[in-house]
Amino acid sequence: MTALKTASLAALMTAALAGTTLAADTVKIGYQLPLTGETAQYGQDFRKAAEIALTEFNAAGKPFKAEIVFEDSRSDAKEGTNIARKFVDDKAIVGVLGDFTSGVSMASAQVYKDAGMPQLSQTASHPDYTKISKYQFRNIATQAQEGPYNAKWMLSKGYKNIAVIAEQTDWGQSVVSGFTDGVKANGGTVVFSEFFNRGLKDYRSLISKLERAKPDAIYTGFFYEDGAQFLRQVQQLGIKTPVYSTSAAYSPKLIELAGEAAEGVHLTSNFLPTDPAPHIQHFVTEWKAASNGAVPGQFPAQAYDAVRIMLAAVEKAYPNPTREKVRDALAETKDFAGVTGKTSFSADREAEKELVKVEVKGGAFVPVAD
Amino acid sequence: MNVSDLSAPPRGRGLLIPLLLALLVFVGLPAMLAGFDRGYFYQIANLALIFILLSASMHLVTGVAGLLHLGHAAFYGVGAYTAALLSTKFGLGFTVTLPLSGVVAALIAFLVALPTMRLVSIYFAVATLAIGQMLYLVMLNWVEFTKGPNGIIVTKGLELFGFSLSGRLATYYTVATVVALCVLAIGRLSHSYYGNALRSIREDDQCADAMGVSTARLKMEAFTLSAFFAGVAGSLWAHMTGYISPGDFKFSESILILAMVVVGGLGSLPGAVIGALLLILLPEGLRAFGDFRNIMVGLVMFLSILLLPKGLLGEVSALQLARRQLGAAWRNTVKGEGIGWR
Repeated sequence: MTALKTASLAALMTAALAGTTLAADTVKIGYQLPLTGETAQYGQDFRKAAEIALTEFNAAGKPFKAEIVFEDSRSDAKEGTNIARKFVDDKAIVGVLGDFTSGVSMASAQVYKDAGMPQLSQTASHPDYTKISKYQFRNIATQAQEGPYNAKWMLSKGYKNIAVIAEQTDWGQSVVSGFTDGVKANGGTVVFSEFFNRGLKDYRSLISKLERAKPDAIYTGFFYEDGAQFLRQVQQLGIKTPVYSTSAAYSPKLIELAGEAAEGVHLTSNFLPTDPAPHIQHFVTEWKAASNGAVPGQFPAQAYDAVRIMLAAVEKAYPNPTREKVRDALAETKDFAGVTGKTSFSADREAEKELVKVEVKGGAFVPVAD
Repeated sequence: MNVSDLSAPPRGRGLLIPLLLALLVFVGLPAMLAGFDRGYFYQIANLALIFILLSASMHLVTGVAGLLHLGHAAFYGVGAYTAALLSTKFGLGFTVTLPLSGVVAALIAFLVALPTMRLVSIYFAVATLAIGQMLYLVMLNWVEFTKGPNGIIVTKGLELFGFSLSGRLATYYTVATVVALCVLAIGRLSHSYYGNALRSIREDDQCADAMGVSTARLKMEAFTLSAFFAGVAGSLWAHMTGYISPGDFKFSESILILAMVVVGGLGSLPGAVIGALLLILLPEGLRAFGDFRNIMVGLVMFLSILLLPKGLLGEVSALQLARRQLGAAWRNTVKGEGIGWR
C-alpha cells in the first residue's frame, strides 16, 4: 500500500515536473547594470523599466516565457568582466543588456566579442563601442547624430558664436567633438570649449571664464545632477545667455533640482512622457505606479525600449534561439515602435533615432517647433 | 628568547609548505578550473591573482615599512597605461610591456618619492593621496596622450616572445607564474635583514636613523619597488581585459587594496594574500544576495577588524610561519645557532 502510494506520488510529481517544463519554455537574458555604487540610481531605474517590459511580455501569451538575470556591476570594469564571463558560461542566456557606462560596457564587450554573445546597451555612447565587433548594439542616439542636429538648431536661431562645456568622460568628449563638427560644417564658430569633472560643485569660475568669450549661446553636455548645479549657478551670476543641452539632461529631476533656473533651457529628446500615444502612456502609467507617481526620464525609456527590442529579437529567433540567431535578429530591427520613437539599427549597429526639440517652460518640458 | 627557538628548521620541513602551495597554484587549481571549464572561474582566479600582487606590493610599503600609502592604484594605472600605450602605439607585445610597465611605474614613483620621503605619518599619507589623484587626473585629462576618459582598447593579448598565451589555461598559467615570482621576490624582501630594516623604520624611525639605518633611502626603495610590482600588475590587467580606462584606477581602488592589506594583517605577507583573496572572492560569492552583498562584505570587514585587529593572519604568526615553515632567508652559524632575522 505504502509502496503504491509512493509510486503514485512519484508519478504525480514527475507529471507535475514535466508539466512545468513544458509550460514554461523559458529563454534567459542577462542584464548587467550598476545596482549599487555611485551610479546606482541609473541602474535601479533600468531594472524597474526592464521589469515593466518583462511583465508585459510574459503576460502577452507568447509561445515562451522570458527571464532576465540581473547582475550588479557597480559601474566597475572588474565586476563587469566577471559578470560577462558568468553570462557567457550560462548556456541558457542568449543575449545581454547593459552596461550603463561605456567603460564597463567596453571592457565586458571584449568578453562578448570572443564568445559571440549579442550585447545591447541602453546608454553606452562611446564612439568605438559598436566598432568592437558585430555583437555590440546600442539603443541611444550617438553624439555624432545629436551634435550636428543641435548645431543646426542653434545656428538657425541666429547663434553664431557658441561656447561648449561638457563633463570629462568619453561621452562628454563625443558631445564636444560631435557638436563642434556640426557647428563648423554649418558656418558657426565654437568660441570656447572646456571639460569639467563629474560631480563638480562650483561652476562659477568655469562660467565666468566662459562668459569672457562672449558667446551667443552655451551648449552643454551633462547629466541632470551636474546640469542642475550648473544652471543654478548661471542664474545666481545673473547670466542670461541661452543654454542648450543634449537628451542626456532630459530628466524630470533636472527641473526638480534646478527649479526656476531650468526655465528656458533648450534640449533634444526622443522620449516625451506627455505624448498621448497609447504605448507611451501605458509605459508612463506603469512607471508612475512603480515609482510613487514620478515621471520617467529619457534613460529609463531607453532601457525599456532596449529590453523590448531584445525580447522582440529573441521572439524572432524562436524556436531554439541561439546567440547567433538573436544577433542576426537584432541587426534586422527596423522601425521598432518604442516609447523613444521608431528605432532601426544601421549597418554598423547604431540606433537611428528621431529627435524632438524641447524647451523648459513653466516647470515642464514642452515640445517646440523650432 | 630561548636560543633553541631560533634554531634552523630541518631542511625538508622548510620546503613542505612552499611545495604544497606551488602544487595548489600550478596543479590543483588549474585542474579544478579545467574540470569546471567555466570562463567565470578563470576570470575570478586571474583577477584574484592580480589583486594578490597589488596587495602584496602595498604590503611592502604599508605593512613592512609602515608608511600609509593612499595612492597605490595610480601606479597600477601607470603600469596598465604603459602596457596599453606601448602595445597600441608601437605594437609591442606582452613580453616587452610587462617589465617596462614595472620600470615606468617605478621610475615615476622614484621621482615623486624624492620630495616626499622626508614626510612622516599622516603627512606622508596625504602626500601619497595627492600623488594618486594627480596621476589619476593625468590619465583622465591628458586626452591627446592617454585618450582620457575614452580609454584604450588593447588588442594584443598575453604572449611570450610572440607565442600566444591567450587560451584560458595559458592565461591562468601566465598570470599565476608572474604573480608567484613577484610574491616570491616580495617575500624575500620582507623576510630578511632588509625587511627588518624596513620594520625598524616603522617601529621608530628616529631610533633607526640613530642606529645608522638610512631611513630616507630605505623608504624610497620600498616605495619604488612596490610601484614596480603594481606596474607589473597593471600590465597583466591591461593585456587580460583588453580595455582600460581611468575609472579602473581611481581612489576607491587604492582603498580596496589598503583594505586587503589591513584585513589580512599589516606587515604579514600571507595576510596580504589572504586579504586579497577574501575581498575579491567574497563579493563574487555573495552575488546571490543581490543588493545586500555590499553590506555583507562591509560587515565581514568590520567584524574581522573588530575581532582580529591584527588581521586574519597577523604579523607575528606570519613571520613565525615564514621562518619555521617556509625556511625563508634564515641563516645559522657553524655551531648551528640561528642568527637570522626575526
